[in-house]
Formats: sequence, structure tokens, C-alpha cells
Amino acid sequence: MSGFVSPVCALIFAPLLVGIINRTKAVVAGRRGPPLVQPYWDVAKYLQRGVVYGEVTSWLFRLGPVVNLASLAAALLIVPFGGLGAPLNFSGDLIVLAGLLALGRFATVLAALDTGSSFEGMGASREVHFAALAEPTLFLALATLARVTGSFSLTPIYQGFTATVWVHALPAVVLVAMTLLILELVENNRIPVDDPTTHLELTMIHEVMVLDHSGPELAFIHYAAALRLWILGSLLVGLVVPFRSGSFWLEGTAMLLGMAVLAVAIGAIESTMARYQLIRVPQFILGAATLSAVAFIIILV
Amino acid sequence: MLPFLGIIQALGLLTSFALLGTRSKGAGPQWLAFQGLLCGLVPIIMHADGLTTQVVLLAIGNIVLKGIVFPWVLLRLRARAPYHREVVPFIGIVGSTLFGIPVLALSVWLALRMTPALKHAPFVMLVLSIFLIFVGLFLIVTRRKALMQVIGYLVLENGIFVFSAIAISGTLLLVELGVLLDAFVAVFVMGIAILHINSEFGFMDVDQLTALRG
Amino acid sequence: MFLDQSIAAMLILPALGAALCLILSRPRHVLTAIVGISALQLVLAANLWTAVLGGHGFVTAAASWLYVDAFSAFHIIVLALVFVLSSVFAGVYFTNASSDQTFTLTIARRYGALWLGSLAAMTLVLVSNSLGIMWVGMEATTLLTAFLISLYPNRLSLEAMWKYLLICSIGIAFAFMGTLLAAASLQVGSAGETAFFWTNLASAETHVDPTLMKFAFIFVLVGYGTKAGLAPIHSWLPDAHSQAPTPVSAMFSGFLLNTALYCIMRFVPPARHALGEHFASGLLIFFGTLSILVAAGFIVFQRDAKRLLAYHSVEHLGIIALGYGLGPLGAFAALFHTFNHSVCKALAFFAVGRLGQEFGSHEMHAISGALRADRLWGTALLVSFLALIGVAPFSIFMSEYQLLRAAVSAGAWLPLALFLLASGVVFVAALRHVIAMAFGIPTATVRVARNGSAAFLIVGVAMGLLLLLGLWMPLSLSKAIGSAAAIVAGQP
Repeated sequence: MSGFVSPVCALIFAPLLVGIINRTKAVVAGRRGPPLVQPYWDVAKYLQRGVVYGEVTSWLFRLGPVVNLASLAAALLIVPFGGLGAPLNFSGDLIVLAGLLALGRFATVLAALDTGSSFEGMGASREVHFAALAEPTLFLALATLARVTGSFSLTPIYQGFTATVWVHALPAVVLVAMTLLILELVENNRIPVDDPTTHLELTMIHEVMVLDHSGPELAFIHYAAALRLWILGSLLVGLVVPFRSGSFWLEGTAMLLGMAVLAVAIGAIESTMARYQLIRVPQFILGAATLSAVAFIIILV
Repeated sequence: MLPFLGIIQALGLLTSFALLGTRSKGAGPQWLAFQGLLCGLVPIIMHADGLTTQVVLLAIGNIVLKGIVFPWVLLRLRARAPYHREVVPFIGIVGSTLFGIPVLALSVWLALRMTPALKHAPFVMLVLSIFLIFVGLFLIVTRRKALMQVIGYLVLENGIFVFSAIAISGTLLLVELGVLLDAFVAVFVMGIAILHINSEFGFMDVDQLTALRG
Repeated sequence: MFLDQSIAAMLILPALGAALCLILSRPRHVLTAIVGISALQLVLAANLWTAVLGGHGFVTAAASWLYVDAFSAFHIIVLALVFVLSSVFAGVYFTNASSDQTFTLTIARRYGALWLGSLAAMTLVLVSNSLGIMWVGMEATTLLTAFLISLYPNRLSLEAMWKYLLICSIGIAFAFMGTLLAAASLQVGSAGETAFFWTNLASAETHVDPTLMKFAFIFVLVGYGTKAGLAPIHSWLPDAHSQAPTPVSAMFSGFLLNTALYCIMRFVPPARHALGEHFASGLLIFFGTLSILVAAGFIVFQRDAKRLLAYHSVEHLGIIALGYGLGPLGAFAALFHTFNHSVCKALAFFAVGRLGQEFGSHEMHAISGALRADRLWGTALLVSFLALIGVAPFSIFMSEYQLLRAAVSAGAWLPLALFLLASGVVFVAALRHVIAMAFGIPTATVRVARNGSAAFLIVGVAMGLLLLLGLWMPLSLSKAIGSAAAIVAGQP
């Protein structure tokens, strides 16, 4: 039963994460900012609106947001929440996770290409470019964790991170955590990779792809983005909070607090860093890949 | 002892990758300073159970020279050099970083080969020292700026220093002092050479030192 | 005969001399001082040599931190001889310097201090028992001589200096790694300061870990081999030799390279002890032959006389390394060749240096009719080149002949064939170069000065030695070389 805690938490709290990030940025900038629950209101508002489709779009365009949301929701079933296991676990589920994340992105990209707009095509091209680098990095990071705990499934991996294992593999853990943090920024199109608030088309990546969506589909997209933020975030937080007491409430609370801290940290990063030049982004991702490669090699022996 | 060494290893590897991947002009000496600091800590950790004044003094000397004096000299040199271009090495930033990964694997392999003979040398430090030596050589060979070449030389020195700290059980005061002194003089000699080159050529790009061939 | 003090004196004397040079007030005085101190060093070296050969075969001082046996004593005497000759030549060379390279007081002081400083450093390498201190001496040599290359800072000399500094620093760093590995290979039994003593490493009672010793020897060979100019890491050598002032080039070729090779050879007995007969000698033969071949290739296409001589150094160091690899007979030939090459190469550099000043360039096409223009240096050029390429009756012919015999008796047919092939190439190529320089009509711009007695003296001494040892080897010398060879190659 406790296995369903993690997907339920995710479905409930994911938009809150976005809210915390936005509030942090507002506070740092000296503004009051929107209320923490603003992302929920946004989603609800979009759900009530009608939909507008371009004349040239086909069923692919309509399929995109649905598949995206569906694949991320499915991914929630195999992502553990720290020591709290996921409802499903089987050997090799970490590959399925990467596949589901990729499927969601693929659907979004197809939808963007389907509009026939050059701007959206440009955004799709950039998105795929960075994803092609980010995905092997994710694999390397997960492989390192698998190597540390000797398991090839996410739930046992995260449950295996007891305090002793954690201290023993500290250097690798630190390196993988840094990788996951960078991936969290890359995969969710945050600063310094992409600016989620900008609407200057030439520099946008993710936002430019979804310009043509409206109504409930836009709500799906926003909600899916929050879920994506949650999934990668829980991989990171589960790693750096080595709390494996076995007590359900203690671990759950620690994880939720950890997620909140992560959201504040992302907000702080976004407030203090400038967006990289586009050509620098691959180098940034490469840096992450290097970190996890180093972790993998030093843990190998 | 081992967790500390593990962290030093991870940070040491990171500084090396940072040096491989840096394009900013001022970052080189700073990463080098951090690396020098880390390497200086190694002998203290190695001899943590029987700390003699000799070990401590040598470690402090190393930290002061490699963590403070050398980077400071390099930063001063850089300040006097009229750079106009960005640091564009012969092999690009991405290539250099990617180079690091197989070399790290190679270092691990070499360390595995050596470790049966060096039983009491911690494996993690053996890997680090071999890796630093490779990275130093790579920086010397592929960088255009004389300054980065000196940094590469010092990375190489760091690697050898770590090796000497872990592989030799007794400390050899006289030899260590000689080594330290030599590194000290070498940096100044190279610094003076850079200044000479700079005033004569007006730049520090080693790739333009190509008159002598064959 | 106060031998302890005399070893110490050989270190202190040049060091004090270096300090003295900094306070002398005339360039001429500096030139006199370096001759005087080098000559004193030669006297001390000869005294030490006789003591080593006459006594137990070794002399130690300072609680065995300093240790001289027949092998090092032989090198010390060659070192001192090369320094005396080059110091005298420095007087000749700098007083005739062209207008753009005036020998001012600042330059003279710098020159004198660095010159004697590097003499002290090289002596330290040769007399120290600790491999660590030996390494320190080598590094000091590198740093001191770097500024001798760019005594007159200009674009080319700075480029040469930078390459020398960087490449040799890497090499020396590798050598240090090798030294550490050698010390680590000892750990099982003893530790502490004596771990670095090569007398300790080489002794039969010491247990040495073979894996580490193997790594150690490779690192040392590559590291010091860089400094010795063994191919393929000789790239600094022609640049440095061609851009340095000629007395410095002579010292580089005549002894600096040998110092590095000496350091390698100190690791050979422990390596043989731990790894058997063939590991070290196989590597020496390989790198020696490779150097000979590479140098032969470059010699054909040289245009600058000093670069040509630099590649000759690569070749001859290769020959010496090859000799060391060929067992006791080969080691004898190698040591004899060391002496011959040092004297001959110094003479060749002297001749090229002076002729270069007179013709205004070291480019070979600019030098012609040297024999007519300047009889003394023209003759020196011709004789030294003939000796270098192995023409009888000069002594290099004899040592190369002994090397061939050693190769035959060791059954090393492939290196032998390659050596003969490369020697043939070098013979033809260098002969073509030297004939063009020595004979023919001098160019109109030549500016000949009258040669003083000092010039006649060094040319006479060097040519006399080459000729004498080519015709007749004194029994005592042969014995001395034999006992030195036995140290690095075992008893025949």
C-alpha cells in the first residue's frame, strides 16, 4: 500500500514545486510574487478554456500533449520516493524510466514539428540536440548508482542507500548528485540552459515548442512539465537524503522537505545565474556527463 | 582515513577536469591553487596516526607554495600579459574534456597493475596521481598559451607529489626540500622566460614560436 | 690525501666561483675567472681519479651521501676537461663577438655565474650517492643552463630556451617519478634516507620488487633520455644547440647530454639485478639504434652548421647508449666513445662558432673556403668533422671499431647492420657538408681576426688527444675505463 504514496505525492505536489521556484525568484528579486498555489490555478484555468487549432495541424499535434502527460504519469509508477519504493519495480526499470522520459519529449517534439512553423521547428531541433546529450548522461548516472548498490532496479537502488553505503561511496554520490542537479536543470529547461519565462523566440527552447497549444492541452503540458521536474528532482533528493529508517512518516516528511529545499535551490540558481549562450549548453551537459563518468570509473574498482 | 582520501580524489579529479575544460582566462590559476591545496593535504592524512613536525612542515610548505605562491605568480603574469583572444587550445574544450574520461580509465587500469607492488599505497590516491600526470602532459602538449603550459607542468608536479606522498613510507627531508626548491625555482624561471618572450614578441602564444624546425 | 675534502671542494669551488663572477668588474676578469676555476676543478678531478683507481675503487664522503667510483670519476674528468676547453674558448669567442652581441659586464656576470653554477650542478650529479640528490642536481642543471641559451635574448633564442625548459622539465619530472618508483621498489626491507642510495639499490643483498623496478627504469630512461637527447624526444636539442652561444653549445654537447646518460646508467645495475640481463640492455639498444637512425635522417637535410652538429650529438649519444647495451665490451667502447665524442664535439663547435663569427652566419651555404680564410679554425673544422664521422686514425674510429666488435661478440646483428647503414649515410652526408665548407673560395664578406695563443692551445690539445688516443691507448687509461665499464656492465 505504501508503494502508492510516491505517485500520489507527485500528482498532488508537483505543481507546488513550480510555485516554490517562482516564489523564490520573486523574493530574491524583491517582489512579492504569485501565491504558491498559482500553478494549480493556471492548470485549472486552462482546463476550462476552449481549444484553437491551426489549419495545417493534424492528429499528431493533438496527440503530443496527451502522450507526454501519459508517459510521465506512467513513469511515476517506477520512480521511488527516497526509501519509499515505487508501486512497480523490476530489473531494468531504470531503462524504462529513461525511455518514458524520452517518449514524452518525442511526442512534444512531433507536435511542434507538425505545426509547420519555423520557430517551433527551431525549438524542437534544440530540444532534441540537448536531449541527445542529456540522455546518455542520465544513463551513466543511474549506472553508477546501480553499480554502488549492485541492483538494476530503481526501488532497490534507492532503498540500498543506507548510511554506511552512502559514506562508503561518498565521492561517487557527490559526483552523481551534481550530475543529477545539472540534468534537472537541463531536462526541465531551467536557467542556465533555457529561460522558462522568456518569450523571445530566438533564444527559447521549450517554450517556443508549445506556443501553438491552448486550452486543456496547454494545461496538460504545464502539468507534465511539473511532473518531469518532480521525477528528476526525486531522483536527486532521494540520493542526497540518506534517510533509510524504515519509518514511513519520517522518510516521507524528509523527502518532502528535501523536495522543497531543492525547489528553493533551483530558484536561487535561476536568480543568480545568467542563461548560457546556446553553444555553451552542450558543454554544460558534457560537464555533467564527465562528472558521472568520473563517478562511474572511480566506483568501478 | 579512506573517506577523506576518497573526497580528495573526487575533488582532485574535478579540478583536473575543470582545468581541461576551462576557457576563462583567470580560472586556470585558481583551479590550480585549489588542486595544490588538496594535494598538500595528502601527506598529512597519510601520516595521520604518527604526525611528526617534519611531515607537517613539508605539507605546509607545499600548500603555501602550490596553493598560494605559484597561482599568485601565474595570476600576476597573466595580468601583465595583453591577451586579446580567448583561450583557444589546439584541441578544443569539448575534445579535452572527452579526452579525460578514457585517460581516467587508463589510470585506473595502470593503478590496478601497480597496486600489488605498492600494498600500503591507497588505491584512490594512486589513480589520482597517475591521472594528474596524464592531464599535466596533455595540457602542456595541447595548450597555446605559455601560461597554460606552466599550469600543465604544475599539474604534473602535483601528480608526482601525490605519488611520493603515498608510495614512499619514510619521509626524505633532504630530497623533498630539494624537490620543493626546484619546483619553486622552475616556476620563477618559467615566469621570467614568459616575461622575456612577452616583451620580445608581444604575446604569450607558444604556437607562434615556430621559427626553429627540422 | 684529504679526499673527503677534495670531493666537497669540487662542489664548493665552482659555487663560490659563480658568486665571485657576480662581483667582478670587467668582462675580461670573468673570462679569466672561469678558466682558472675550471682548471682547478680539472686538477681536483685528476687527483680524485688517481685516488679512486689507486685505492679501493671508490671514495666516499659525508656519511656516504657523496660517493665516487671509477665510473663517476671517469665522467668527472671528462666533465672538467670539457669545461676547461670551453672556458678557454669562451675567452676567444666573446672577445671577438660581433657588434650586435657585445659582451657587456651584465652579460658577462650572468654568463660566468650560470656557467660555473652549472659546473657545480653537474658535479653534484656525478658525485652524489642519493638518487634524489642526483635528480636535484639534474633539475638545477636544466634551470641554470636555460638562461645560458638565451644569454642574448632574441626571438630565436627565447623560442629555443622555452622549448628546452619545457621539454626538459617534463623529462626531469618523469625521471623523478622513476626515482620514486625505484625507491618504492625497495620498501619491503629498508626505508628512510638510504632508500635513495644507489649503492644500496645495486647491492646484491637488497630485495627489489621487479614490477616497480621495471616501471622505474622505463620512467628513468624516458625522463633522463629526454635530457640526453635520445630519439624520439630529442626535439629541444637542435634548437637549443643552434641558438645558444657557441661555448654553451660545446658544453651542452660535450657534457650535459652525458650527465643525463650517466644518470640512466646508475639505474642499470639495480635493473639488471631485479629483472635479469636483457631488460635494461634491450631498451638501451633500442633507443640507441633509434637515435642513430633518426639523427642520420636529419643530418642529410641540415642547412645550419650548429644544427648539424646537434644532430651529430643525437647520433653519438645513440652510439654510446647502444654500446652500454652490448655488455662489458660494449660498455668499454661506450665509455671510450664518451671521451672521444666530448673532446671532438667541443672542438667541432669551437671551429663552427669562430667560423660563424668570421663569416657572419652559421648557415652552411654562407661558409666556404674556411681553410683559406682561417687556417687554424678551418683545419679544426675539417679534422673534427672527419673525426666525428669516424675516419681513421682518430680515436672515434677506434671506439666505434670496438663497438662493432662488441656487437659481433654479443650477436646483435640487427643493431649492427642498422648502425653501419646509418654511419654510412652520415659519412657521406657530413662529408659533403664539410667539403663545401672547408674548401673553395672564401666569400668576400669574411672578416678574419688573428688567432691568439689560447686558440692554438685548445685546438692543439683537442686534436692531439684525438690523434694520440686513436693511435695509442695507454695501459693505465685502458685499465681505468675497464674498471668503470665493469661497474655498469658487470665483469666481462
